[in-house]
Amino acid sequence: MHLLIMNKQQIVISVDDISLSYGSQHVLNNVSVDIPKHAIMAVIGPNGSGKTTFLKMLLGLIEPDKGTINVLGSEPKKVRNRIAYVPQRFSFDQTMPITVMEFLVLSVVSVKKVDIDDAMEHFKITHLQKAILGTLSGGQLQRVLLARAFMQKPDILYLDEPEAGVDIGGEHDFYDLIKHLHDKHDMTIIFVSHEVDIVSQYATHVLCLNQQHICFGDPKVMLDTETLSKLYGTDIDLFNHKQKKS
Amino acid sequence: MIEILSLQFMQKAIIAGMFLGVMMPFLGVFVTLKRMAFFGDGIAHASLAGIALGLLVGVAPFTVAVPFALAVGALIYFLERYTKISSDSAIGTVFTTSMAVGIILLSLKSGYQPDLISFLFGNILTIGVTDVWVVAIGSSFIMLFLIVFYRPLTLLIIDPVQAWLQHVRTGFLEFVFYLITALAVVFGVKILGIILVSALLIIPASTAKLFSRNFVQLIMYSIALGFTAVLAGLFLSYYLNLPSGASIILFSATFFFISVIITSLWRK
Repeated sequence: MHLLIMNKQQIVISVDDISLSYGSQHVLNNVSVDIPKHAIMAVIGPNGSGKTTFLKMLLGLIEPDKGTINVLGSEPKKVRNRIAYVPQRFSFDQTMPITVMEFLVLSVVSVKKVDIDDAMEHFKITHLQKAILGTLSGGQLQRVLLARAFMQKPDILYLDEPEAGVDIGGEHDFYDLIKHLHDKHDMTIIFVSHEVDIVSQYATHVLCLNQQHICFGDPKVMLDTETLSKLYGTDIDLFNHKQKKS
Repeated sequence: MIEILSLQFMQKAIIAGMFLGVMMPFLGVFVTLKRMAFFGDGIAHASLAGIALGLLVGVAPFTVAVPFALAVGALIYFLERYTKISSDSAIGTVFTTSMAVGIILLSLKSGYQPDLISFLFGNILTIGVTDVWVVAIGSSFIMLFLIVFYRPLTLLIIDPVQAWLQHVRTGFLEFVFYLITALAVVFGVKILGIILVSALLIIPASTAKLFSRNFVQLIMYSIALGFTAVLAGLFLSYYLNLPSGASIILFSATFFFISVIITSLWRK
């Protein structure tokens, strides 16, 4: 019994047999997964495999037709203030003159100035505080969104393809920042990605989705040619790239 | 100058104009940010049915137009949110239907309708003491709402998911914003007219956007531009015997085009 309780405490997100359909179109079928505390879990799968929908269900934005989701011991909606989210594409009126500082101040309820300054320094965007949000590059905007997440001091951080908009080659710097965020604040991170290389290097767990659960576990073990071929529905060969020197 | 201020109808027009000149550009910042310019226009046109009903039954048009505009605002909100109809289709359908109802109602009242012309184009001569009170109290209420809900409202418009994560009641706040905008438009109808009232929501904010360097500046410049245009327009309207709504909007549009030229040259 004690062991069971100890084990339960380690699980921050429990997804139990969830399904979702839009009319006759099945988006997710009978997906179950338990995500342990402090994990960096990647969700991978082909386009239209339900990755973003899965993330939105974890956030509580979409309710499953069947099954349950438990986040931090509660319904996702009830604990949403303990969660931070970085969207795939942050769409807003780019002509609107709102500065980075104003955006950060407005984004988090009762945030302290010292926390904003700390986050901006941490993500190297202090020099951008007076810049208008719509003038930032994709990479700069992602740093601003990460700084916002950092300011919230969340227990769980969701990122939907965070490398989108980041320059080629800048992805590793970006994930180094995310890893640093994880290590320093002991948070659980769940990110959607297409980059198998990134997943192997940074994730502690991987969930392979193609409308249904294909695999879950250590990416170094799970991401073999057979699983990836099954996941993407085509023959896949893996090549090892040189890892970035730390 | 002193002569104009001693005239009772001008005093009423200036007081009501000052409230509208601050409130509408302030609200307009959020309306343009949320890309709801067509909503303002739609509500203004739809209010014709409420005004016509008031004229037909012989009560102050405001007393019918205000609840009618609120109902139209709510209907548009629900159509946008709970059906597959796009925002512009919902607004277009509701406002043309309301106008059709208004025209039918007016056709039931025989004879020339001077009040109707005033509502269509704005007329400072028709502003009564009650109208001034309604505009002053209503505008103050709307400005108070914008000040109190400045943060959640701005966040809701820029990033609705983040607003939701921060426990903002997004659906409710958005609904109230629709109602507030509908109210503001009806308050402006007497001075600016049905056809032009939404311009005071859109033009000052669009002008300020051209040269503002942050969000606070955008609000301040919008209010300054709207306030100046309203007062200048009312004075022009009096001295040249022009319709008040058109005079105000022409001033506002002049500021806009001057700003476009200056900011375009500045960038070169």
